[in-house]
Amino acid sequence: MTPTAAPALEWRGVTIGYRRPGEPELVAVDDVSLRVGRGETLGLAGESGCGKSTLAMSVLRLLPRSSRLEGEVLVHGEDVAAMSWGRLRAVRWTEAAIVFQGAMHSLNPVRTVRWQILEALELHADRGGSAESRQARVAELLGLVDLPVARADAYPHELSGGQKQRVMIAMALACDPDVIIADEPTTALDVVVQAQVLDVLSALVRERGLTLVMISHDLSVLAAVCERIVVMRHGRVVEQGPSERILTAPEHEHTRELAAAFPVIGDPASRRVVGRVASRDALDAQRTEPTPQRPEPVEGRSPDPADPPLLEVRDLVVDFRSRGRAVRAVDSVSLQCRRGEIVALVGQSGSGKTTLARSVLGLQRPTSGTVLHRGHPLPTDRAGLKAYRRAVQFVLQDPSASLNPKHTVYQAVAEGVQIHRLPGDEAEHVAEALRRAELNPPEAFFGRLPQELSGGQRQRVVIAGALALQPTFLVADEPVASLDASVRGEVLALLLELQRDLDLGALVITHDLGLAWNIADRVVVMHQGRLVEEGSVEQVLLDPRHAYTQSLLRVVPSRLGSRP
Amino acid sequence: MTLAESTPALEEEQPRGSTLGRYLAWKGGGAAISLVMVVVLGFFAFRVLPGDPAINLTRGRRVSAAEVERLREELGLNDPLPWQFVSYLGDLLRGDLGVSYVYNRSVGALILEGLGPTVLLTGSAALVSIVLGLWLGQKAAWTRGSLFDRSQTGLALVFWSVPTFWLGLILLLVFSGGFGWFPSGGMVTAGTDLRGLALVLDVAHHLVLPVLTMVAVVYAQYLMVMRASVLEEMTSDYLTTARAKGLREDLVRTRHAVPNALLPTVTLIFLTIGGLVGGAVTVETVFSWPGLGYLTFQGLSAPDLPLLQGTFVVFSSIVIVMNFVAELVYRVLDPRLRSS
Amino acid sequence: MTAPASPVSVVRARRRARAAGLWREFVATRSGLVGLLVLAVVIVLALLAPLLVPIETLDVTRVTAGINEPPSAAHPLGTDPSGRDVLGMLLWGARVSLLVGFSATAVSMLIGTAVGMAAGHFSGLTQAVIMRVIDFFLVVPSLVLAIVLSAVLSRGLWTIVIAIGVTSWAATARVVRSQTLTIEARPYIERARALGGGHLHVLGRHVLPAVMPLVLANTTLTVGSAVIAESTLSFLGLGDATQFSWGSMLKRALDTGAATAGFWWFVLPPGLAIVLVVLCFTLVGRALEAVLNPTLRGR
Repeated sequence: MTPTAAPALEWRGVTIGYRRPGEPELVAVDDVSLRVGRGETLGLAGESGCGKSTLAMSVLRLLPRSSRLEGEVLVHGEDVAAMSWGRLRAVRWTEAAIVFQGAMHSLNPVRTVRWQILEALELHADRGGSAESRQARVAELLGLVDLPVARADAYPHELSGGQKQRVMIAMALACDPDVIIADEPTTALDVVVQAQVLDVLSALVRERGLTLVMISHDLSVLAAVCERIVVMRHGRVVEQGPSERILTAPEHEHTRELAAAFPVIGDPASRRVVGRVASRDALDAQRTEPTPQRPEPVEGRSPDPADPPLLEVRDLVVDFRSRGRAVRAVDSVSLQCRRGEIVALVGQSGSGKTTLARSVLGLQRPTSGTVLHRGHPLPTDRAGLKAYRRAVQFVLQDPSASLNPKHTVYQAVAEGVQIHRLPGDEAEHVAEALRRAELNPPEAFFGRLPQELSGGQRQRVVIAGALALQPTFLVADEPVASLDASVRGEVLALLLELQRDLDLGALVITHDLGLAWNIADRVVVMHQGRLVEEGSVEQVLLDPRHAYTQSLLRVVPSRLGSRP
Repeated sequence: MTLAESTPALEEEQPRGSTLGRYLAWKGGGAAISLVMVVVLGFFAFRVLPGDPAINLTRGRRVSAAEVERLREELGLNDPLPWQFVSYLGDLLRGDLGVSYVYNRSVGALILEGLGPTVLLTGSAALVSIVLGLWLGQKAAWTRGSLFDRSQTGLALVFWSVPTFWLGLILLLVFSGGFGWFPSGGMVTAGTDLRGLALVLDVAHHLVLPVLTMVAVVYAQYLMVMRASVLEEMTSDYLTTARAKGLREDLVRTRHAVPNALLPTVTLIFLTIGGLVGGAVTVETVFSWPGLGYLTFQGLSAPDLPLLQGTFVVFSSIVIVMNFVAELVYRVLDPRLRSS
Repeated sequence: MTAPASPVSVVRARRRARAAGLWREFVATRSGLVGLLVLAVVIVLALLAPLLVPIETLDVTRVTAGINEPPSAAHPLGTDPSGRDVLGMLLWGARVSLLVGFSATAVSMLIGTAVGMAAGHFSGLTQAVIMRVIDFFLVVPSLVLAIVLSAVLSRGLWTIVIAIGVTSWAATARVVRSQTLTIEARPYIERARALGGGHLHVLGRHVLPAVMPLVLANTTLTVGSAVIAESTLSFLGLGDATQFSWGSMLKRALDTGAATAGFWWFVLPPGLAIVLVVLCFTLVGRALEAVLNPTLRGR
């Protein structure tokens, strides 16, 4: 490999479109030019559908047949589009390799880890080496990503999400490429595991002087690893610059939206204040009367701590039977929620927080312990439970999945009204609930199907469905985790408004400490089925007592970036 | 009760990754229950359903009232029903399936004789169909929309729509009646005393048309299933990984897509073993192939209910046991089901 | 404020638009449309059979033509070993074959949908028992079971209908069950429960509408198999000998030696009719599947 002056990667006026039958071409990448120098680390940020993954795939010409590419994609100065198939196959994995989302389905489920890594080595065997040396190389690669060699004979399903991601990294390094492209390498991973994977990746890049292009929707994750960040929107580059500057002093409005989704804990500007960002979706523009846009941020108000608890959980235990073994998901948890109080239940995946929420809603029968509502134990008969569910409502994680895709907005919101046969005019109930959830004018939304709404609007329809029953309390399971950064604010602002205007309390389940900082009054930290720490937001997040809370706060990416 | 509306039923009913012992017990238990159900059905269908079994058994034959009464006594029909069932079970366990009226021989012996030819016929047909169907199916899927794909799926759909027995009749008309290339029925040429290789060749000669008939209908099903499975896998992320590694397209298919697509296909193939047996009944009837299917037809046209009852119980049991074996094979094939 | 009827009409308009869209997609599959058109012609001919070919002309005692006559102007498909017009029998046979096909499918779909939904919705012992029954019917050779049932019950059209219906529902139940499981794993079911909805609400409002498209596609595919099953049972001598059906025509062809004697006009037409009708049902079913279940598109 002779060093040349050409940059490791370069996109020159690249436009990529997808042909769709019966529809105009979808332009995913629109006239993008970028240079990535040798040894540089570049972060590509943007929301889903902004074209960042398409751009990455174009490097190895991995785009589907329905795509059309204009412009040049150069790897070490050589145009990828002009390569012969043979040359392209030789370049793949040896000059540039991709770390796919390993936690998802990027590993072949019926082959062992060893088989899959060896395959890459054997394909490019012209780089020398015997069968034994290749076996040794597998062990070496696994060592690089801190995996025991014994794991080589495991199948993907036997590995945890973090381990799969490490395997993906090891596989990408197999043929010593100069360029590594990491496509959302930590999405779907737990915060703690995410920190470990990012550590492994950035250490390898540093030690080997690799060129890294990392893709993420999370600016703080990119800032933790990359020197430079490029922000994309609708296929175009809207802003680029050094990570530090992008994160602390974003210039473009969209960058600010992305940055706001990951507030700096301890920053008073984002405490119980959610900047509402006007959504500029095409659908919003079609509305006959746009949502009144308030430039002023929404501020929450604190509940009265002297109130008696509205909901109370006493010594709750939930066991699951799994493969003949009992697993304790929730371990003697006691918890109180007051009227008009927003409580954040924070924990990693698998900490039992969702099981706790389902028990509170009467969707999961506890092994022992009680849930009390206004001082009375949860009813166990059908009628009593139905009445209870009018008072305590549920908002689920993924609004696209929690709405029946075939039901219109009207049907979705009216569902609860019909189940409970609320007195009065059904359409009036629905309209009122939609208005409360700020979907104005409500009649314009009646006939819409979920797929025609933005993510934020969908979540507001789910909230409207709950509000139609005039509940006194909401249980929200990761209400914004699956939403794009720009609509995260609008849903959180709505929760704060409902608290202020209707005195509606909420138990918000989240893995995101920033969200707790944004809207909660109190924080409860859950770890392995137990509550380990509880207190006001300021107290728990700024002065954590328990070692687990401290470790959680340590791995928050916005702090990672500030680490030396 | 209401609280338990949704139990944590996320675990599947076949415990994934559980120990082999538990898996065997679960699947074996299921197969055993199915076997019991076959035996119970085999008994009650012939005793409890409308009509007097003694009349049913003698239907189509000239019998006196005294003969019917003697038969009732012989069959134990005058005993209480539970007692009849117990004695039926006892006979069954001893391998005594009653006496055929047509052949005037033990049904058990007749079935034993028919077993070999049926296994030979369905086994050869299944083998050819699987190889042909799977190969064409994955190729069609990979070249989706091409002339090959469209002609192969079209042909498969036509064959799938053909009644097996009619296709047999046509083949018989053309290749046996018309050209005289193949014998018109049976398993060996009558009146000859062939041995060794000559016998094998003679049987193979008789086997061609029946196997061809079965294959035509069965391979089409396998082709469609395999094609659908491969198409399902074609959008998988791990194929992108394989391509990114620099793998040639045909290797992406044979090393990654096909092994994954085979697993759901194998399940569906196992589920169609019963259909294969159904095909055996008609094909053996058309070609007078001396197997269990032909026996069933004989039992049907006489009517010879002990024979019919016997073939039903044996046919069903074979399929149930085959399915059980197939489940075990599947467990070996899919690492996700293998115990870690 | 709009009138309270408006949301309902909005929903209705939505449904109409969706149905129109699906129809356009169905038409665009072409093979499905061809299948549907051919089936329409066959069904109309079958309905008109009494007008086109009076049943008296097929009465053995009144036929005037000779036996086993090859095709001619008077008898476009020749005559059978009793001197009856083959084309006339073919038309009358369509009535029986289609009647049995549709009725048996109705039985099969009713059982399959109900059992499949129950197996997917309930848990614990109920589910285990239902699953056992489904597995049994899935595994047991259905033709052999149908033979036993029709041999034991009194001969007749409805016996055949029941024999086919009772032995062919398991595959539908399996598909419906897996679809039910998929739907019930969706968060919107959890939401419906949290809103206070019970078993009936969840099954009726969410599961059944989601399962129906699959059942519809399965129905057309099952009619095809039922037509084949009917002909097979008739061929084995289990049909109603007093009625014309395509299966019984073939049975007669075999019994009278027409097949071996080379009277092709009596052997080919019934078989080809079966192939054509079954193929059309299959094409329509596959097109429906592709239209109603977008994840299957292109399969």
